Amino acid sequence: MNTQEEVGEFTQIFNALMSLMRKFIFKVLCAGPIPNHVSFIMDGNRRFAKKHNLTGLDAGHRAGFISVTYVLQYCKEIGIPYVTLYAFGVDNFKRQPEEVECVMDLMLEKVEYTINQAVSGNLKGVRVYFVGDLNSLNERLRVAAQRLMEVTEENKDLMVVVCVAYSTSHEIVHAVRESCVRKCDGTGDDPVVLQVSDVEECMYTSVVPDPDLVIRTGGGDRLSNFMTWQTSRSLLHSTATLWPELGLWHLVWAILKFQRMHDYLQKKKKLD
Amino acid sequence: MDLNQSMRLLSSWIAQIGGLGLDLLWRFIHLVVSLWYIVSGIIEAVESYAISLGLNKKYSSINIEKLRCLAVVVDIEEARDVSKVIELLQWLRTIGVKQVGLFDSQGLLKKSKDMILGTVPGSVLSEEIGEKNSSPDQNPLALEFISSSDNKEAVMKAANILLQDYLKSSRPENDKGENFFTETHLNEALRVVGENVHAPDLLLVYGPIRSHLGFPAWRLRYTEIVHMGSLNYMRYGSLLKAIHKFTGVHQNYGT
Repeated sequence: MNTQEEVGEFTQIFNALMSLMRKFIFKVLCAGPIPNHVSFIMDGNRRFAKKHNLTGLDAGHRAGFISVTYVLQYCKEIGIPYVTLYAFGVDNFKRQPEEVECVMDLMLEKVEYTINQAVSGNLKGVRVYFVGDLNSLNERLRVAAQRLMEVTEENKDLMVVVCVAYSTSHEIVHAVRESCVRKCDGTGDDPVVLQVSDVEECMYTSVVPDPDLVIRTGGGDRLSNFMTWQTSRSLLHSTATLWPELGLWHLVWAILKFQRMHDYLQKKKKLD
Repeated sequence: MDLNQSMRLLSSWIAQIGGLGLDLLWRFIHLVVSLWYIVSGIIEAVESYAISLGLNKKYSSINIEKLRCLAVVVDIEEARDVSKVIELLQWLRTIGVKQVGLFDSQGLLKKSKDMILGTVPGSVLSEEIGEKNSSPDQNPLALEFISSSDNKEAVMKAANILLQDYLKSSRPENDKGENFFTETHLNEALRVVGENVHAPDLLLVYGPIRSHLGFPAWRLRYTEIVHMGSLNYMRYGSLLKAIHKFTGVHQNYGT
């Protein structure tokens, strides 16, 4: 057996051992309560690119996508049913046009790659849903996103909600508008009054329950206009680690924190 | 008992023992995590006392002008002890904070508004700032009392105002309301129902966990949220450290 084959075999054994160790860690973690919905504010891609002297406007975001695949794999293995990713905010459109275009092109590339994976049967139970003001995206990306949602519609193990062209303020205004127009279109002589449930039904993120745990990378202590309506009873966890550097242990630590506070969070939800 | 039954029983015992083993390991991990929190709590307490005694020169001067509006979120169990809230407000006044929004989800602090305003020297309701002779103090502490009714309920009141305007308007048949329902309109409607729409720069959370506990969502967009621990164990040094850290934050607001 030559050196290359030996290295390949060693890598396979090493990966298999790592996978076994990871599954054992998750088995132990699952002895306690697991969050039903985890949201990620994926901050730090540009700083990662600067830190590692990567060239290209999308270099940091490419590294960020690799992190997305690992995090989703871990969440699926742990058994978390819903994951939300804050991929691109409405305010991010104010960045340099070249950077915005680059990020949109990268998103299109990754969406098309994911469609191929889904069609080949490699997505293994992952359903992808895009939420946000999708009309503000270019047509190719919008069509690709729609296609990805269609091909993964039947998957049931993990629902991944990708927030694109999203912000809470935009979401609230959109939901108020939608619910008002629906109320006006309704028939009957009853007085037309909006309830909280009418508006919440029309929110972009109405497809998922409220998050139990919000994890923000990059060291920021703010929500940056992300799900402020839905996170009244969420544990907000912040880590200085940049998104492309987020690993298994960061996720495990966040879930351990959630488990410590689970009784308190349940008590708060019951009070509601 | 035949072989199959014995195998099933054995598998069941192994699964139960395995489950028990995992459970014990999980509890042990949480014990280690709790110990870590105790140790880091002690370190934080020591650091806080050092800051309060002025031993750390880094915190001797704070650019308080950067903090235009501070909000304090208090867990409802802790909001019952108003004396602690009053002490906190006095500390904030000493540091030089000029505007504080006090939030608890059930409005307990709103009910104690008169007591708080009567006890904290120089404090006035933020709505009264700007009225002539509202406070003899040159540097009043403007207080705002907020609860969950200022969150989703307030947005609904504002939304219903917009809805009534929309109903009364003459609009084309397939109109989707884009000209009636905008961020500016919602902001204005919130002001009409008596809500403050200004976003606090910094939100200090006093309670068991880092959560905004239902603070008005419309105002939380880019607010820095810092967990301060229990109000019963609040420390002046930790407060100074949190405000100092905020003054060093640079935000790009998504750009």
